[in-house]
Amino acid sequence: MRRIAAAFLVLLLGTATPALAGEELVLIVSTRSDVDQLDSSLVRKLFLGLTVTHHGNRLRPVLNEADSAIKELFLQNIVSMSDSTYDRYLLRLSLLQGRTQPTVYRNNAELINAVAADPTVVGYVWARDVAHDPRIKILRVVWHD
Amino acid sequence: MRQAFLFGFPSPRLIARPRGLSTWWRAALAAVSISFAGHSALAQHQHSSSEFEVFVAAEGLAGHGQPHPRYDDPWFDADVIFGFTHGQFRVFGEYFITGDEHDLERFQVGYEVVPDTVLWLGRFHQPASAWDTEHHHGRYLQTAITRPAIENWEDEQGLIPQHITGALVESRRPIGKEAGVQISGGVGAGPVLIGQQNEPIDLVGSNPGKHGLSFTGRLAYLPDYVGTSSAGLLFGHDQLFARTPLALAALRSDHANLTIYGAYADWGVDAWRFIGAAYYVDVALDRPNPNESFMSGYLQVERQLPHRLTAFGRIEDSARMQESRYVALLDGHTTDIDITIRREAVGLRWDYARRQALTVEFDHEVSLSEHGYEARLQWSAAIP
Repeated sequence: MRRIAAAFLVLLLGTATPALAGEELVLIVSTRSDVDQLDSSLVRKLFLGLTVTHHGNRLRPVLNEADSAIKELFLQNIVSMSDSTYDRYLLRLSLLQGRTQPTVYRNNAELINAVAADPTVVGYVWARDVAHDPRIKILRVVWHD
Repeated sequence: MRQAFLFGFPSPRLIARPRGLSTWWRAALAAVSISFAGHSALAQHQHSSSEFEVFVAAEGLAGHGQPHPRYDDPWFDADVIFGFTHGQFRVFGEYFITGDEHDLERFQVGYEVVPDTVLWLGRFHQPASAWDTEHHHGRYLQTAITRPAIENWEDEQGLIPQHITGALVESRRPIGKEAGVQISGGVGAGPVLIGQQNEPIDLVGSNPGKHGLSFTGRLAYLPDYVGTSSAGLLFGHDQLFARTPLALAALRSDHANLTIYGAYADWGVDAWRFIGAAYYVDVALDRPNPNESFMSGYLQVERQLPHRLTAFGRIEDSARMQESRYVALLDGHTTDIDITIRREAVGLRWDYARRQALTVEFDHEVSLSEHGYEARLQWSAAIP
């Protein structure tokens, strides 16, 4: 039984890996933004709902739930929390101080447009989706295959 | 998640017409709002966002030695959280609804002076409570069904005043690369002592009686600046004036000055979480009555298990409550167990769906004159 389960797992991994082969998840802002870099602790703080400013401007995070792989990589590499823990964390912030939770986008194009339109917005997408977009600046690679 | 901000009072019948103190208070809030609206900082930040969450819970209770559900055991409750942020300016409220009550528990207008330092005006939960400042009225984010008796709200025969109307400063500053320190201080008008409870200022109702000064604070260490673990010291001082003949007769004093010293820890280690607090409460009465004091503390241990289960257990204990006239005044004098002086509780929570949980809890409680066993079953959720 264990062998069958192991074989199934290998099969699953085998089918999943090529889908992300060569992919990069990147942190993005508008080219109109004067933010050129954000270290990982500030990025984590930003997506955990605390205040992060740059030259007096408050940065605003947006969540990308366009596909489950992006969400999983965000949870693992940016906030270091499980899905349920992150959800409870954001609810807790609302309960403690009424802090607003990040806007969720379930469509890549809409998220990229939102980032491009507002120099204070920070988001994350697959690198290939913004590689030739002159409106978008890549701040850092969050994850790569 | 973020939503369009639409919130209004549901019906004129539900809210008493504002009178007395609330009138000047509403005027003050309006003035603050107008003055912030003209601040130059807001001109740079045009973004507005709003928040609307509802925490709901339904509970069933069975027991031996406690024939009637208490006031703090409503079969259904809803805790409505609403917030509005515009740049550094914030408005935030919490409206709690049960079958028996509906109160604007918190209403705060705030300004974030520097990142993570907010000055609030309004009615708030005093920061020297280890439990209430973390869980407030919503049940969903609280693992156990019951709260420790020493953390009870004023209308649940709570001994420590929990609602203050005035000014609150909350600040979080980094220490080194990861850690931080949290400083909170609040000052304002506290509750008044009526028959068998403390009654805080009602922002949308009348406020008879003399509300004394309360000031309260917390100094806490955060091992992770953005994390949820913390440990620290608590302090509070409340000047409570007795309003009713019953309160005057029971205390033999027209006031009680409470001074509270406490320490707490809320610490997560892997799948474990430890929440503990200890309070020493000094009660000063009119001379020649001698001052009195009592202590209370609790420790709750939680352990996350597979299948989204969380087991928990809590012990509560106290000292010298039986000798306190102040405690005796707030005790309900009914057949119910009211002010719990000792409790052991165990339970299990199952987060069976996103933002929904079922919890079962078994308690053994000892009050000033009785003891009893209770079993509770609760469904809780956060909407949306």
